[in-house]
Amino acid sequence: MTTAPEAVEAVASPAARSWLRIRAVARRHAYVLWRSPHRLFDVTLWPLVDVMLFGSLAKFVGDGHTSRGTHAAAYLIAGIVLWHVIYQSQIALSTGFLEETWTRNILNLMVTPLREVEYVAGVALFGFVKLAIGVGVMVLGALVFFSFDTSSLGFGLVPIVAVLLVVGWAISLLVIGLVLRFGSGAEALAWGVMFVLMPLSGVFYPVDNLPAVMRPLARILPTTHAFEALRSLVDNRGLDWGQVMIAAIGSIVLLALSLWFLVVMLARFRKRGYITRYT
Amino acid sequence: MTGETDVVLRASGLVKEYRRTRAVDGIDLEVRAGERVALLGPNGAGKTTTLLMLLGVVSPDAGTVEIGGHRLDRHRSRAAENVGFAAGYLPLTERMRVREYLKLFGQLYGIADPTAAIEEGLERFRISHLAEAMGTELSSGQRTLIGIVRATLHKPRLLILDEPTASLDPDVARRVRNGLLDLSATNASGLLMTSHDMGDVERVCERVVFLSNGRVVANGTPREIAAAYGRGDLEGVFLHLAETHDNIAAAQQTDHP
Repeated sequence: MTTAPEAVEAVASPAARSWLRIRAVARRHAYVLWRSPHRLFDVTLWPLVDVMLFGSLAKFVGDGHTSRGTHAAAYLIAGIVLWHVIYQSQIALSTGFLEETWTRNILNLMVTPLREVEYVAGVALFGFVKLAIGVGVMVLGALVFFSFDTSSLGFGLVPIVAVLLVVGWAISLLVIGLVLRFGSGAEALAWGVMFVLMPLSGVFYPVDNLPAVMRPLARILPTTHAFEALRSLVDNRGLDWGQVMIAAIGSIVLLALSLWFLVVMLARFRKRGYITRYT
Repeated sequence: MTGETDVVLRASGLVKEYRRTRAVDGIDLEVRAGERVALLGPNGAGKTTTLLMLLGVVSPDAGTVEIGGHRLDRHRSRAAENVGFAAGYLPLTERMRVREYLKLFGQLYGIADPTAAIEEGLERFRISHLAEAMGTELSSGQRTLIGIVRATLHKPRLLILDEPTASLDPDVARRVRNGLLDLSATNASGLLMTSHDMGDVERVCERVVFLSNGRVVANGTPREIAAAYGRGDLEGVFLHLAETHDNIAAAQQTDHP
């Protein structure tokens, strides 16, 4: 006759267990950053380099004191600060997952009760910390070196930042799905996709200035409308809620598509036994 | 006496094909609470694919897996709460101390404060002195022991181990065996392990399931199986089955050049 295992003091409710797992994943990624100081480059040095580069460019184009020059300067510096919201949120989630592939930790995680959504939430939760550091450095750099006060743009920034966060997460889910399907060869997309998105989103200029052939593609991107809304704030025209709504709907659609893609790729990962790439 | 409720793992009709190769061909498997079972077979017999399907990491083409009464394909997370898994080849999560690593996994298994479970697990394998070491500072044997401690923190109803004593020195291998026997006795966890060390299997497991070409070809106590094949011990049976496995593989190669 066998006896039942002595119960360990497990958290009782499924919701509490879920929250415990999310926090555990977030803390694991905190250790990664804490014990790999070179990774702080991604969240401090490169944002600072960007603000120096675009801030200096903004100073140069704004030096003529023409109205257009002043506006262009503000577009540049506000654009790069907000661009880092999407960049940092995307990179935090993508590289968080890639860290598991680099250290062959995927099997360790996949055999636990951790749900995919909990994993993503945990990495994204710590991603907030990275985002706050990265964007904080930029806001401070812009203020100290170029006297650009990002907070002067007001609360209208909040919905724009929310849209950019969601788009950043959606792109990283697409990248993770591609890595699950194609392996480490798809890793380069984690960084490369941002370089494609940046010019098409009109981060620093209205997309009417893009070559005509690219404009239709640019206009279906939620980021394009988010940055259009940002420029309305910079121009003191108030928040363009029409652009914000288009951006919000677009970002939700993109997130839903990304989630669907990730679920399909994960099912294929399990079906084809791709875990053997990481054992 | 054991009953239906004692079954912690039930796999029925598992099939898995990779690129027209049938790696697993209709495997049925049961493990009861407190039972120690070895899954044996030559390389390519389908052991690892079977384990990965039992863990929910690879999805079967056909068949079902039920762990602790939960269907793996429908309630993976609930089923996984009942399982612990360790393998000699699995690395420890990098950039963490052993205690931090064990706490992480304890919490992934739903233990809010796994401190006591960590101390107990480290003590069981006599490695409490490693608690503050970084994972990268450990030998492969120490990593294996830590992996088993991690897999048993939540006192799982089913413990799955893939070659737990591979490349361990005799002292560490003995500690692993004794720890597993202790766990089985105190927790009544079902144990399913693979190994190429027939001596370990005979010392730890009371039942053996032999696979060859993706099928179960023998299922019984080590003594029953040795007798059925007319061999003196499990190693003799293993060598016989490995030869058969190779002959079948060679014949298939001839049929499908």
